[in-house]
Amino acid sequence: MFKSLIEKNERRSQLSIMGQYLNTCFMISTVDDEYLISIEKGNVTNVEEGPFVMPSYIFKLTASKNEWLKFLQSTPQPGSHDIIAMLRRKVLKFEGDLHPLMSHLLYFKLLLASLRPAESNNEN
Amino acid sequence: MKIEKEPITGNYGKFEIDGVKHRIYWEEAGEGIPLVCLHTAGSDGRQYRALLNDKKILKKYRVIVFDMPWHGKSSPPENSQVGHYKLSTESYISQIMSFIDGLELVKPVVMGCSIGGRIILHLAIHFPEKFKALIGLQSAGHLDPYYDISWLHRQDVHGGEVCGGIAYGLMAPTSPENDKFETMWHYMQGGPGIFKGDLFFYKFDGNIGTEIKKIDNSKCPIFLLTGEYDYSATPEETKSLADTIGIAMIKMKNVGHFPMSENPEEFLKYLHPVLEKIN
Repeated sequence: MFKSLIEKNERRSQLSIMGQYLNTCFMISTVDDEYLISIEKGNVTNVEEGPFVMPSYIFKLTASKNEWLKFLQSTPQPGSHDIIAMLRRKVLKFEGDLHPLMSHLLYFKLLLASLRPAESNNEN
Repeated sequence: MKIEKEPITGNYGKFEIDGVKHRIYWEEAGEGIPLVCLHTAGSDGRQYRALLNDKKILKKYRVIVFDMPWHGKSSPPENSQVGHYKLSTESYISQIMSFIDGLELVKPVVMGCSIGGRIILHLAIHFPEKFKALIGLQSAGHLDPYYDISWLHRQDVHGGEVCGGIAYGLMAPTSPENDKFETMWHYMQGGPGIFKGDLFFYKFDGNIGTEIKKIDNSKCPIFLLTGEYDYSATPEETKSLADTIGIAMIKMKNVGHFPMSENPEEFLKYLHPVLEKIN
């Protein structure tokens, strides 16, 4: 579901500028599946799909697969269009050290939105 | 290429708010019924750039938009320090009423968005006779905190970046990218701690509670319009408010928390009929 994050680096030149000082590793969970995502200088350098025995990461975003699918629609419905909107509906949980996420909030929003079908790809 | 000049005039003026000297910036355009517009938390009057350029509205209304103290081109008040700003209900009401009195406006219409959409409810409760009408955009009677707002002002996170990131998500994915970017840019330009300080009013001090029942729509007509993509003040929350007041709300499709700024074309389709009803 999130494996293709690594394939889209070429299309995200603006994001690599916004994240030029960002080096982190975070996890996205759909409850059933887990993805460990490594970022170096704003580029996604690795996406590993679980299951994991002892995963090490800085922060984790957890929502059900159905909620992630709604978020990834080309034009998501109200309440599914943004990770803070999902937080507000209590369908997404932020855990861990949130500093990399909050200091690069727009970066992560656009990174995840880059997985939406191209016609609504909101890259700046 | 010749410059295409807009009909907007910018002004600076000095007056006292609660006995404290302030230097305030405002913009205006048009002639007729004064329409005072209130911007959202952490932003400034540029959010109303489309209204200030709308020929149809300017024929009937004198549109006036001021930057709140600490915001946009308005100065902080005397003896200010970084990190101490907190907007209270009382001080918000004072600045609006002082501005209206200072410009000697008689029975203006006041339209506010978000925190502005909240404060018009307080104005409706306390001073209904002072206004020709009140328009709330993205109005909700209260808001329970749903994220930790301390992230908006800490020295190890760039305030402009995080405030812009928060604002961006509050807009509809269907709004034009250029207008979304400009709306976000206003947030990126806010001073340290100002958005957070405004949210003290929005999430704590300005919660209305049962006082909402005191609003009498017959004393001053109230109009409530909310964008469907707003998850801060949701259409459901505005509807609950409208039901309590006994009026109908207008749900705006394809816009989020900043209708006048993120998608002016769509917003004006909803606003024109409202403004035509006011005489």
